[in-house]
Amino acid sequence: MTPRHAGSELRRRLRETGGHGRKLRGLGELLAPYRWRVVAMFTSLVLGTAAALAPAPLAKVAIDQGIQKHDPGALYGVVAVFLVSALVYGVATYAQTYLVGWVGQRVLQDLRLKLFAHLQSLSIGFYGRNIAGVVISRMTNDVEALDQLVEDGLATLIQSSLMLIGVVVILVVMDFHLALLTFIALPLLFLGALAFRIASAGAYRLTREKIASITGYLAETLSGIRVVRAFGQERRHIEYFAQLNEENRAANMRTVYLNAAYFPAVELLSGLVTVEILLIGGIEAINGHTSTGVVFAFIAALNNFFNPIQQLSQLYTTYQSGMAALDKIFGLLDEQPEIVDSPDAEELPPIRGELRFDDVSFRYGTEENDPTLPWALRDVNLVIAPGQTVALVGETGAGKSTFAKLVARFYDPTSGSVLVDGHDLRTVTAHSLRSQMGMVPQEGFLFSGTIRDNLSFGRPDATEAQLRDAASAVGADDFIMALPQGYDTEVGERGVQLSAGQRQLVAFARALVADPRILVLDEATANVDVHTEGVIEQGLRRLVAGRTAIVIAHRLSTIQHASLILVMENGQIVERGTHEELLAAEGRYWDLYRDWAEQAAA
Amino acid sequence: MATFWRLTGFLRPYRRATIWSFVLAFGALIGTVLIPYLTGVAINAVRAHKHHELILLALAIVVAALARLVFSALRRLVAGQVSLAVEVDLRNALYARLQALELSFFDRQQTGQLMSRATVDLQSVRFFLGYGLIFIGQSLVTILLAAVAMFLLQPGLAAISLAPVPFVVLIANRYGHKSRPAMQEAQQRIAELTADTEENVSGVRVVKAFAQEARQLERFRHTVQRVFDQQLLATRVQAFYNPMISFLPNLGLAAILLFGGRQVIHGSLSVGAFTAFYAYLLMLISPMETLGYMLGAAQRATASGARMFQILDQEPQIQSPPGAPALPAGGGHVTLRGVGLTFEGTTTPALTDIDLDVPAGQVVALVGAMGAGKSALVSLLPRLYDVSTGSVSIDGADVRSVELDSLRGAIAVVNDDPFLFSATVHENIAYARADATREEVVRAATAAQAAGFIEQLPDGYDTRVGERGLTLSGGQRQRIAIARAILADPRILILDDATSSVDASTESAIKRALGDVLAGRTTFVIAHRLSTIALADRIVVLEHGQIAADGNHDELLEQSDLYREIVEKGMPNQVFLTRKPLEVVGR
Repeated sequence: MTPRHAGSELRRRLRETGGHGRKLRGLGELLAPYRWRVVAMFTSLVLGTAAALAPAPLAKVAIDQGIQKHDPGALYGVVAVFLVSALVYGVATYAQTYLVGWVGQRVLQDLRLKLFAHLQSLSIGFYGRNIAGVVISRMTNDVEALDQLVEDGLATLIQSSLMLIGVVVILVVMDFHLALLTFIALPLLFLGALAFRIASAGAYRLTREKIASITGYLAETLSGIRVVRAFGQERRHIEYFAQLNEENRAANMRTVYLNAAYFPAVELLSGLVTVEILLIGGIEAINGHTSTGVVFAFIAALNNFFNPIQQLSQLYTTYQSGMAALDKIFGLLDEQPEIVDSPDAEELPPIRGELRFDDVSFRYGTEENDPTLPWALRDVNLVIAPGQTVALVGETGAGKSTFAKLVARFYDPTSGSVLVDGHDLRTVTAHSLRSQMGMVPQEGFLFSGTIRDNLSFGRPDATEAQLRDAASAVGADDFIMALPQGYDTEVGERGVQLSAGQRQLVAFARALVADPRILVLDEATANVDVHTEGVIEQGLRRLVAGRTAIVIAHRLSTIQHASLILVMENGQIVERGTHEELLAAEGRYWDLYRDWAEQAAA
Repeated sequence: MATFWRLTGFLRPYRRATIWSFVLAFGALIGTVLIPYLTGVAINAVRAHKHHELILLALAIVVAALARLVFSALRRLVAGQVSLAVEVDLRNALYARLQALELSFFDRQQTGQLMSRATVDLQSVRFFLGYGLIFIGQSLVTILLAAVAMFLLQPGLAAISLAPVPFVVLIANRYGHKSRPAMQEAQQRIAELTADTEENVSGVRVVKAFAQEARQLERFRHTVQRVFDQQLLATRVQAFYNPMISFLPNLGLAAILLFGGRQVIHGSLSVGAFTAFYAYLLMLISPMETLGYMLGAAQRATASGARMFQILDQEPQIQSPPGAPALPAGGGHVTLRGVGLTFEGTTTPALTDIDLDVPAGQVVALVGAMGAGKSALVSLLPRLYDVSTGSVSIDGADVRSVELDSLRGAIAVVNDDPFLFSATVHENIAYARADATREEVVRAATAAQAAGFIEQLPDGYDTRVGERGLTLSGGQRQRIAIARAILADPRILILDDATSSVDASTESAIKRALGDVLAGRTTFVIAHRLSTIALADRIVVLEHGQIAADGNHDELLEQSDLYREIVEKGMPNQVFLTRKPLEVVGR
């Protein structure tokens, strides 16, 4: 599948998983374990909001009952209630801030764990179809967008909504007539907010894109700084960067325009509504239809009416991106692993290491067998005896790595079956299979941590002696001991602190510590100096000795030492035998060997 | 504080706009203060049943609200412009400085750190300069004006109700102090979590191959818990300070209700004055909070500014001397005299006492173990680093005496693991000469044996590298890098083991092409294998940063044990189908 297809496939899935139902259900599941805290959270939010609304009606009572009627007792009562409400507000705000933070963060971390566990359960095929960066961004950028919503907005979102409802209720109760007059502004506000949302969504998205491209360009030209220097292209990059900056400025300017139009307009509207109430309410009060206290309190409460609207508008973009992120995250969680243990899968007993391919054919692709795709492997029949070293030889794309992946059951064959000691791989648990199998990838992928951590990766309970034995067996001990902290040296992200050759040796030792019965090894082609190359070759021999080994081979020495060479072409095994047999047969292997010799002579 | 004033210096080009935004902010502010005042007066008019006055006052409020609209919209526009202009200036200045700094600076710095200066730190500076200063001014003036108005109305009541103000500001400021380190640590832990995620996604094959899913999940759970713990700490700080900040102003309100109410009852205060008082205090709440937060933002901006100045104050060490002449014309005659090089932060020299004279057009192979100094030596020619002792000259001119662009324009480098930009294939090949025509690009690609696979790409030469997961193999990247160097048409070509990851047939094709390309240029080849060495007229063996031997193949077999070892040991370990040992030639 081409990356372009993978992209549109991904988008299609995302669209399918959209919809509020899915999101609400998903959120419900995530919140369920903390339901009591959620209840407490809402209680404190409601209490806090109610207490925040109290000053306006209390002021009204103070004026009408205390001040106007010259009743100090009533005034003191109101002040006492006022202080109590302020205290309730303080306590509720504390509880609410803490609970929103707690629940929000707990749910986010649960979501991260859930995603992580899910990613681990997905088959290698998924990672082949999807770009690693996109998958990582689900776990990082998308969860962070939600984090932003939790941090900045969740409390405000709920509070402002509650506040708005509360104010409306208070206004209606205080004076139904004046309340109706206030709500005349609502359609205007609604339209304004709608226009602002529509216009700003695009504008804010653009600013995010622009700043992302600035960051991307910066990262790229910084990591490629040697090339920039070597070709003396600094000026061009500076000019282009300035252009990106200018675009970013223009994009941001659009949001400035929008904000400059929207927020002052809401302010104006609040001023106009104040005047409206003042005039109409004032005249009513003059005519004795209502009290001055009501008008005053009403105007004080109007502040609380417009504030939440402004706050909600400001939150809108955070809310949008949070919801979009949630969509994508649930889309990923809906992805089903293709290779799962069958319900009646058995533990694979300790194996001898016999490997059999029965009529195995395989084509890449999603779930269904798509006949338009080419075969990656075709009609492979083969028995590998325990302890044999098999070298796979052939050009890129001949099917060598596919062969190796089927052995590790990273994929299931499209037809036919792969058997270990007579057990079909589909009938045993993945864990029991892989714990008896070792894999050495080409680049020697290491995890950040110490050398010791990496060596014991496949067998966490390995003793110090076992680690050292393995390291010295593959010839890694020398360089490890020469490192400043020996086995406790940090290798850095992906092992960057080590050279390619050293990483390779550590990967060998790691596989040796795991002591697998079957070993799958993709030989590295990286250029290393003569000395390291010799050590690697020795290490490789020690590693494959005594176990069934499938080696995707590049070195002649490796191939010569193999007990069986499989020459692959277009997904098929075209020749098999030892080095001498194949040379004597003067077939494809002989051709390859001759080409190679001729080039050497050229 | 010095940093703070230096930061405000970035506003200098926008002095007028900055002054305007302050003026406009105060204009808007007057509207904001006026409206509750007029409302108070209007309420008094209502009490006094003064119909006409009420209508006039209502009109006045409308005018004030309109004025506020105009002022505040304009203020947003002007301040937005200033803030964004400062951002552009700062970021361009940072980038230009980064582009001017020498490589040894980047050897010492982590890319992530540099990036955060240009993004996170820059944002906080820009926000503060563009908005923070105005908010501080606005809040201060609001508080001051309201305070003055309140004192004029009723000094005693004013003193009581304003008492909580300094506390709110102090507490908000303290909150900023406390929460910043907590948040930063949380960010740091999230970064760890991101790294963890990346590693596990990239290394998923290893995890699965060793059946270590459960253990990795357990580790990840630990990392996630660390994030949660820290976030909760930050939440606690927030939960503690937030209610305090919002609680204190309520005390002022309660005080007004109590004391002001009593005064009204006793007749020493009008209801209108009372309501105005109340409204003023309501109006003060948000400036008080803003002031506190903005003082925190000022501290943040100062700290960020200090980090940015670390870069801006870094003087580039490798620069063209003022008025330097261009590299003189010539064929690429390279001379190193007594060259020593010690990289910054290290004690063992990478090169010592190198004397080397390479006539124009010669092809020199540099041979030696890892760390022998091969790459260090060639990096001196385009002045990626400067010598610690001795001198490097090209066509008679010391590289330090000539104009840098002309020097680097005369040299092209192809690395072992070449870096391509995420641009089209065409743009990558035409990197050194952006004006190259498609024809020239195709010619260079053809010479580098890259034309074949480029045409197979989805959009040919217009295919973007690295997009949508389109990754090129090491061999393909190398050939594009060779084409890039060919198109630069350099006087001196440096090949850093440039054909290591291509298969045998491509390699020999590249070698054939290189034969033509090398003609007429001085070439340095860093070589690990004999097939590459075979291209050279002359072989220089480096050992521990010194020249151990110098001569042609036959001479060196005689003279140099090290070279002999490389030749002998090099052969049986060659890679089948990708490399070609000379051993086979004899068969």
